[in-house]
Amino acid sequence: MAETTLAMTDPAARRALSDPDAGSRAPSSAGGHGKKVAGQVLRHVVLIALAVLTITPVMMVVSTTLKTPEDVRVDPFGLFTSFSFRNIVDAWTVGRFSDYLVNSILLSVPSTALVIVMSTMAGYTFARLPFRGRTALFYLVVLGLLVPFFTFMIPLYFQLRSLGLLDTLPGAVLVLTSTGISFGTFFMRAFFAELPAELEQSARVDGCSEWQIFTRIMLPLVGSGIGALTVFTFLANWNNFLVPLLYLPGGEYRPLTTGLYMFTGGRSNDVGPLAAGTLITILPVIVLFIVLQRQVTQGFISGAVKG
Amino acid sequence: MSIANRSPAPAVTRRAQARLGVALVLPVMIMVVAFFLIPLVNALYYSVVDFNGINPNPDFVGLANFERLFTDPKMAHALGNNITWIIVGTISPMVIGLLVAMLLWSVQRASVVYRVLFFLPYVLPGVAIGIVWGWIYDPVNGLLNQLLRAMGLGDLARGWLGEPDVAIYAVLVTAIWAGTGFAIVIFLSALRNVDIELVEAARIDGANSLQRLWFIVLPQIMPVFLMVLTLTLVGGFSVFDIIFIMTGGGPADATEVLGTYAYSNAFQLSDIGYGTTLALLITVLSVPVAVLLNRLQRKLSLQGTGA
Repeated sequence: MAETTLAMTDPAARRALSDPDAGSRAPSSAGGHGKKVAGQVLRHVVLIALAVLTITPVMMVVSTTLKTPEDVRVDPFGLFTSFSFRNIVDAWTVGRFSDYLVNSILLSVPSTALVIVMSTMAGYTFARLPFRGRTALFYLVVLGLLVPFFTFMIPLYFQLRSLGLLDTLPGAVLVLTSTGISFGTFFMRAFFAELPAELEQSARVDGCSEWQIFTRIMLPLVGSGIGALTVFTFLANWNNFLVPLLYLPGGEYRPLTTGLYMFTGGRSNDVGPLAAGTLITILPVIVLFIVLQRQVTQGFISGAVKG
Repeated sequence: MSIANRSPAPAVTRRAQARLGVALVLPVMIMVVAFFLIPLVNALYYSVVDFNGINPNPDFVGLANFERLFTDPKMAHALGNNITWIIVGTISPMVIGLLVAMLLWSVQRASVVYRVLFFLPYVLPGVAIGIVWGWIYDPVNGLLNQLLRAMGLGDLARGWLGEPDVAIYAVLVTAIWAGTGFAIVIFLSALRNVDIELVEAARIDGANSLQRLWFIVLPQIMPVFLMVLTLTLVGGFSVFDIIFIMTGGGPADATEVLGTYAYSNAFQLSDIGYGTTLALLITVLSVPVAVLLNRLQRKLSLQGTGA
């Protein structure tokens, strides 16, 4: 019993919880062999039905994107009834989704990098470098995690405007960074706190400076944490809707999310290019998720176990 | 723990640690102060003035915004929708998530494909989700109405997002589709941590499967259950993206929640003071819930360890 309930506090158990593939312990079911097989088949049938239900909306995006414009007009949502790249071409050129894609990258990549660097540094401090007043600072970071973005998004708008950062790339990048650092600091702190104190001490005996202990000894050991945080933060920034909606109102630096939203408002009948724009928006997310699905789920799970 | 670990580090080391600590934590603290603390304090200020976004010296109005808050029928209506959202939008993913996780737990060769498919909607941007589900709910060509007609239930077909009575539930179904995968994956990793020996022992002692679930399995995953509950509940107060994108709060305010109401007051009606007051209400409602549930979760975790 202790094993599992400890999951929240014990690092080893947390790791076990964080690892979606850990073990394959399952309850054995009673009954004869035939009954067992039938039960297993039935379960898989239910699971497959649920999986189809889950994936159908995503299939609709792909299907409508790949239709000919004529077919979209007649039967926009019938699955895979014709084939053409016209919608993608239209979305890319006329729909300006190529610009939106570039803007999404210009917003997500620097803000993710900043979150990772800053959170790793602060996380290490809160885990291993005590100084007077550190606890108070840590409470401030925790407060940042608790208070919803909503509370201060309106004053932040006027603050950015008075600083000349409204509707600028640096302004939006900084806000995106700020939305991720509280969580990132918390997250990285947990990883650094798990490392044994002996490592630090023996390095000190060997004459390493504190900076060297951080960069050469400790940093290489939290690679998995940095990896999970990177994917998690990148996805959050890529998908962020409210930040560009509020702080990039002009449209010059509009990313995919708000670009897509504006497209639905302006030309709601253009279902074909809209589908293509949606696909352009979600394709990087899907590819990243499938390639790094372990890191992503791990990031989300340990993210949830933060508190 | 070694003895060296318990004895305090030499003063030289402590000073070096403090110096590095302050340096490493500085960037995050600057960000937290500039993009969280200052706007947060400004939010309190905006809630006691009549600010239209332009006037540099807005009039002090005392608690007028708060008085308005408590007598505003639109606020009460929006809060009611938040409550509907929180109840339905919390219970459904928790129950469905637990059922599917147990199904996945009980199948042999639970392929990673299921988990990836179920989790996928959770990483997609809200705009894309809103657009696709808008198609599914389309009154004429929508997949849902087509399915209903094909099943001879054409009477039930309707404009799902256009009718005030059903719109919020239609958006809720979308949110449940998008969010349940998170619950499934977390519950599954918690279930894989359950002590199988205990479950087996209970079975030998004659406990039926329902009893085993209620008395043995559920108590062990309770902390994780509470954690997911906290996240979904707290998220329910600040829901914005999906409603803003799918219905914009309409038709006729039918899906208005505090988030969309605060947004439209601040950014469409330029009533910054009142918009900020509404946003503060979201915090006042959600932070205590978060703290309370977190306490409960910790208490349960500690009980489990026998501490």
